[in-house]
Amino acid sequence: MEPAVRDAGVEGERTSRAPGKRSWDEPLSWLVVGRTPLASHLLLSPASLWVLVLLVSPVTLLTLLSFAKIGAYGRILWSFSLANFGQIMRPAYLWVIGRTLVYAGATALICLLLGFPAAYYVAFAADSKRKHLLLFALMLPFWTSALVAIYCWLIVLGREGLINALMLRLGILSTPFSFLNTPFSVILGLVYFYLPYMVLPLYAALEKIPRTLIEASHDLGAGGLKTFLRVILPLSWPGVASGAILIFVPCLGDFLTAEFLGGPRTYLLGNLIDNQFLAAQNWPLGAALTVLLMGMLMSGLYFYGRVEVEETSRV
Amino acid sequence: MSDGMTRREFLKLALLSAVSPRLLAACSGRSKPSVNFFNWSTYIAKDTLPDFTRDTGIKVNYNVYADEEEMFAKLRSGAMSYDVIVGTDYMIDRLRSFNIIAPIPPGALKNRKNIMPIFRHPAYDPKGEYTAAYLWGTSGIGYNKNKIPKPPDSWRDLWSERYAGKISMLDNARDCVSLGLLLEGYPETTTDEKAYEKVKHLLIKQKPLVRSYTSSNYVDDLISGETWISMAWSGDILQALKENPELDYVIPREGSYRWVDNLCLVRGAPHPEDALRLMDYLLQGKVAADIANTVRYASPNAAALPYLNPKLLKDPRAYPPPSVEKRLRFHAELDPVTVQLWDETWSEVKVS
Amino acid sequence: MSRRALRIYGVFFYLFLYFPLLVMFAFSFNNASRNVVWRGFTFKWYARLLHDTELLWALATSLKLAVAAAAVASFLGLLASYVLARHRRFRGRGFYAGLFNLPLMIPEIVMGVGLLSFFAKARIPLTFWTLAASHALIALPYTIGTIRGRLLLLKDSRLEEAAMDLGATEWATFLKVTLPLAWPSIVAGALLAFTVSFEDFVTTFFVAGVGVVTMPIKIYSMMKFGVTPEINALAVCLLIFAALALGLNQLSSSGRAIESDAGPA
Repeated sequence: MEPAVRDAGVEGERTSRAPGKRSWDEPLSWLVVGRTPLASHLLLSPASLWVLVLLVSPVTLLTLLSFAKIGAYGRILWSFSLANFGQIMRPAYLWVIGRTLVYAGATALICLLLGFPAAYYVAFAADSKRKHLLLFALMLPFWTSALVAIYCWLIVLGREGLINALMLRLGILSTPFSFLNTPFSVILGLVYFYLPYMVLPLYAALEKIPRTLIEASHDLGAGGLKTFLRVILPLSWPGVASGAILIFVPCLGDFLTAEFLGGPRTYLLGNLIDNQFLAAQNWPLGAALTVLLMGMLMSGLYFYGRVEVEETSRV
Repeated sequence: MSDGMTRREFLKLALLSAVSPRLLAACSGRSKPSVNFFNWSTYIAKDTLPDFTRDTGIKVNYNVYADEEEMFAKLRSGAMSYDVIVGTDYMIDRLRSFNIIAPIPPGALKNRKNIMPIFRHPAYDPKGEYTAAYLWGTSGIGYNKNKIPKPPDSWRDLWSERYAGKISMLDNARDCVSLGLLLEGYPETTTDEKAYEKVKHLLIKQKPLVRSYTSSNYVDDLISGETWISMAWSGDILQALKENPELDYVIPREGSYRWVDNLCLVRGAPHPEDALRLMDYLLQGKVAADIANTVRYASPNAAALPYLNPKLLKDPRAYPPPSVEKRLRFHAELDPVTVQLWDETWSEVKVS
Repeated sequence: MSRRALRIYGVFFYLFLYFPLLVMFAFSFNNASRNVVWRGFTFKWYARLLHDTELLWALATSLKLAVAAAAVASFLGLLASYVLARHRRFRGRGFYAGLFNLPLMIPEIVMGVGLLSFFAKARIPLTFWTLAASHALIALPYTIGTIRGRLLLLKDSRLEEAAMDLGATEWATFLKVTLPLAWPSIVAGALLAFTVSFEDFVTTFFVAGVGVVTMPIKIYSMMKFGVTPEINALAVCLLIFAALALGLNQLSSSGRAIESDAGPA
């Protein structure tokens, strides 16, 4: 589902046809389908302008904004001040950032623990006909929008929700238990929504493992567990890494889950940014928090890149 | 602009329509005059707008918002196709300072005289140029009688260990910081850093007991028992009371604030004349009464009194009697520096 | 690990994924205004959806928005993928490929607040069109990813080469060979873009001007005011919609294989 991120250089090598085979005699061909670098740049310009104007310039603007100050009613006063960064280094804010990192890490870890056997099941135990259906079923909740996923848990976990109703009826509980507005409900919500992000790359990694390799391992006398630990697990490492990063990064900026399933003590970085922009009218502070978020993201991606390079050099 | 219009024709029409805005509306394909109205959600009677359209032939494009701060953040960017918006007292100065609202032409609203004198020249609009009071209400305590048999009578009950994890607070600086200042004995306009330190401390102390900060679904939580007691707006509880008699609302003995929502004319409104007609219509006694009877907030409209539901009018929770009224105060008008202090205090509470 | 244990785990895993959705599905037919007890079967929440004019209006806005975003993203995506997949290697191509993937890598909240600040700073009023442009941005990596994958397959099939060797101009080859063969992927990409736009909440939340209410924004405000069975019904409709879109997408991207089968897309 996700387009590949870094395969840019690959297909270049595949250009096998010798250049200059055709004569470029049509007047407009260089513009429409020509193959001079200029034509390439020209044809790419609409899409790249789109991204440059609507993504690169806003992100640049946010960076500039993070050094600004605010005036009356949140008017932006352009300046170069580090005050916003000073403010987010204060303990209260650092707590929120720390909590966000912990929640994101916990989500990634739980997704890994829950997702690995599931991916293993789809890759190895399910027959190939059912595989498509299983993968499809995996993606469906994710394509329904985060709001719906959160809403489902609201009605399941609520005080009048299904779990409480069942437990009361069965006599496990005597009074309804409040699952909502707790770290538990927030992490559950995050895990539920981001689970496919883990299972899909894991599945892709497991699927790539040659079955002969596993058979060879067995033939050489390795038991099931040993084969799993020494062959399958190491080879699924790229899937683990991409799954973890695919979950960790969006979790850092998630604000919907904590807004609906969380309570006063589950305030996350995303909520903080949302609040600074839409409620407190302090855009520069919000921008500083956003810059911090991007910083964490870059370091995450950098780490991921390192892991990838190591992996490929080892293989 | 309709299709197939030549440039020349368009210029001619543009010139004409500078003279008569109606004409532009006519040529843009909308044969019916219309007005764009932006209001709080659940803040109007069912028949109000259909009746207005029936009486005047003016169609109303109605949109609602649930969060005023959010609305303001968007309005800052300058996209405004609205004619009439509803703004709360504290928002008026911001709306004015960002040129979002325009003065109402003097004499344009003949029903403005229906507004009770105390609401006619409020602190946020002393000359009464920009606003026409629409509804008012109070902030107080809502609670579930099944869970709390003895009515709470102090704001301090929201700090009570007995209700730990069963408390919800309104999620905005305006209500919570003003409450903190009230309890700590400071005026709203104070710029004393110490006052805000104390408020922050007070609200952070409460935090472990609070289940959620929300301004929208706290009534639902009270009904379902997720929470037992919450800081609330009068009309929200009174609306739910119809179907959930276990709810109740009190104004604590320390006193509280009353706030006013106002009709405002948008600067550069596409349909200013129709906007004024709509505003004037909403200020009619009967119409204002219908709205107040439905949403159960109080009407600042004197002409509405005879049409108000007598039971509601006698309800001290909706229309506080003089004994309670003397404990109520209007929110003060804050300058931008103080507003920033409030917002910062509130942000600190939320992150801690 | 035994196969059996895995199977059982798989069942529980999918139960976990679908349990909340099933609860929601069941309660959308419950004849009670709260979600606790079963009070009999009803279609009334679905009927109520049909009579909720605000909701229908939001649906119309979302559909228009998704069509606009999908159209723009497909057009931009087709151009970009064509160059990325078919043009000879040139300096800066890696840069472009990275650039087009940026919208995927940047958290949506950053895009949301960034676009909000950008439009405010540039004094561009927030309207339907600014939102559509933002949605096209989010959808762009999806259309490029889908279309480029197909074009690469196509290149391996050498059909275009054959056409040109038979004397067709590049332009004619593009129109007569490339475009028809790439068509399924364009449709698949557009469908994906449509879905991405239709379901987007975060960016929309920040960038939608006042009064531009999309379906997710509408659901958000309904949820803000508490849990009602009407949302159950609405969510079920969205789920069915997502299933259809996703199914169609899989069909159109996997259907119509190219003659020379050249490995996985």
